[in-house]
Amino acid sequence: MNALKIAATGMSAQQTRVEVISNNLANMSTTGYNTRRAEFADLHYQQMTRAGTINAVDGTLVPAGVQLGLGVRPTAVSVNVAQGAVSQTGGDLDVAIEGRGYIEVTLPSGISGYTRDGALKRTGDGLIVTSDGYPVVPNTTIPEDARSISISAEGEIYAYFADRVEPELLGQMTLAGFTNEKGLEAIGSNLFTETGASGPALVGDAGTDGLGVFRHGYLEDSSVDPVREITDLIEAQRGYELNAKVITAADQMLGATTQIR
Amino acid sequence: MSNSIYASLTRQSGLMKEMQTIAHNMANSATTGFRSEGLVFSEHVKATGEGQPSISYATADSHATRFAQGTMAQTGGTFDFAIEGDGFFQIETPAGERITRSGTFFPSPEGELLTADGHRVLDAGGAPVFVPADAGTIALAPDGTLSVDGNPLAQLGIVTPADGATLEREDGVRFVVNGDVDPVAAPTVMQGFLEGSNVDPVSEIARMIQVQRAYEMGQGFLEKEDERVRGVMALITR
Repeated sequence: MNALKIAATGMSAQQTRVEVISNNLANMSTTGYNTRRAEFADLHYQQMTRAGTINAVDGTLVPAGVQLGLGVRPTAVSVNVAQGAVSQTGGDLDVAIEGRGYIEVTLPSGISGYTRDGALKRTGDGLIVTSDGYPVVPNTTIPEDARSISISAEGEIYAYFADRVEPELLGQMTLAGFTNEKGLEAIGSNLFTETGASGPALVGDAGTDGLGVFRHGYLEDSSVDPVREITDLIEAQRGYELNAKVITAADQMLGATTQIR
Repeated sequence: MSNSIYASLTRQSGLMKEMQTIAHNMANSATTGFRSEGLVFSEHVKATGEGQPSISYATADSHATRFAQGTMAQTGGTFDFAIEGDGFFQIETPAGERITRSGTFFPSPEGELLTADGHRVLDAGGAPVFVPADAGTIALAPDGTLSVDGNPLAQLGIVTPADGATLEREDGVRFVVNGDVDPVAAPTVMQGFLEGSNVDPVSEIARMIQVQRAYEMGQGFLEKEDERVRGVMALITR
């Protein structure tokens, strides 16, 4: 009877895989999106004959024993932290991060969120915010008479004015790095929050401590590779079908048993 | 009289176990570093008494793990490692040291390299591997040496069970080694790759059909035997 349940764990694992793939494909044009991948591990084993036990018939040791596995479980859906391609947009508040690091924002709840989506905007007061309106940390306000904005690779924000030659330094954007980026919790809208697994944010200037640099006028594309996703999808679908076949076969075996009498 | 029924019954229950093994392999066809499993049946001869013919039962005595290389899938992950050829990663669990072929690792906030289940990955000297939090570019040399910005950090422990050691399976794609492990002389570890499961769906399906048909054959035999006994009963009680 176990074969039925084991194949069911296999089917649900492949189903999880398809869900992750469909989320990747849905986000193939999302700025700064990183591909997710479902990870699996085997379930525990039933010990039928333990290796090393004494064979009762002639006293020899059983060299390998019999262990029957009980299926598969998902262990992680890990974010494949990879640099996406950067494309030029020319937007005056578009920044792409080249290398490691996240832009820190303040969420309405007061805690910090982290994002790689550098399509920044400004509020009516000139405060630099994300597309969803969350203020970027450290808060920077652009004067309303500023003619244009320039952001250096290190994150220094300069404003140019019509009546002056020298630009004015408004502030410096920082980057937050994590020991285990895969441990960040995705909360939607391209945002992540820190968890016990990611470790605390290590905030620093761009270009220092292994952090990346800013590219002004560019946005980071999604790192989803559609060809890969489609081949994975085919694999997952066939895997699902194979597990379904096992269920059919196990069912037929049980059917044969009930037909003896 | 019922010996023939019991003999075929041992085969039937063995086939059920084999079906379970096939289902387990198939369920793990997408599990990183999984090694497919097979059952080995042997003859169990029983004496039935002086001058009587002996009777053979089938027992699943042993299992065979296929250690063939799985396919390599490129993931690009910094901490996705795959071993090409011989060897296993060495990890530390609360129950002792284990070995695994699954190389999906994550650094903890404290900088320890962990498996997906949170167990520490060990270096060649048997100590946990640490990755500094502010590390820049992390690279892995084919011999398992991890380096940060070109400075060597640690060498991953790539081991293989010593002669005479037996392997026991554990969940989480881990193996328990009953015996010693030897370091692999010249391992090939690749960064940014993961080794897939080595389950071969074609041979699993072929085995599944074989098992199913053998089971039905056994069932047919039991039916015939049942009919024969009924026939004899009907004859002698007429």
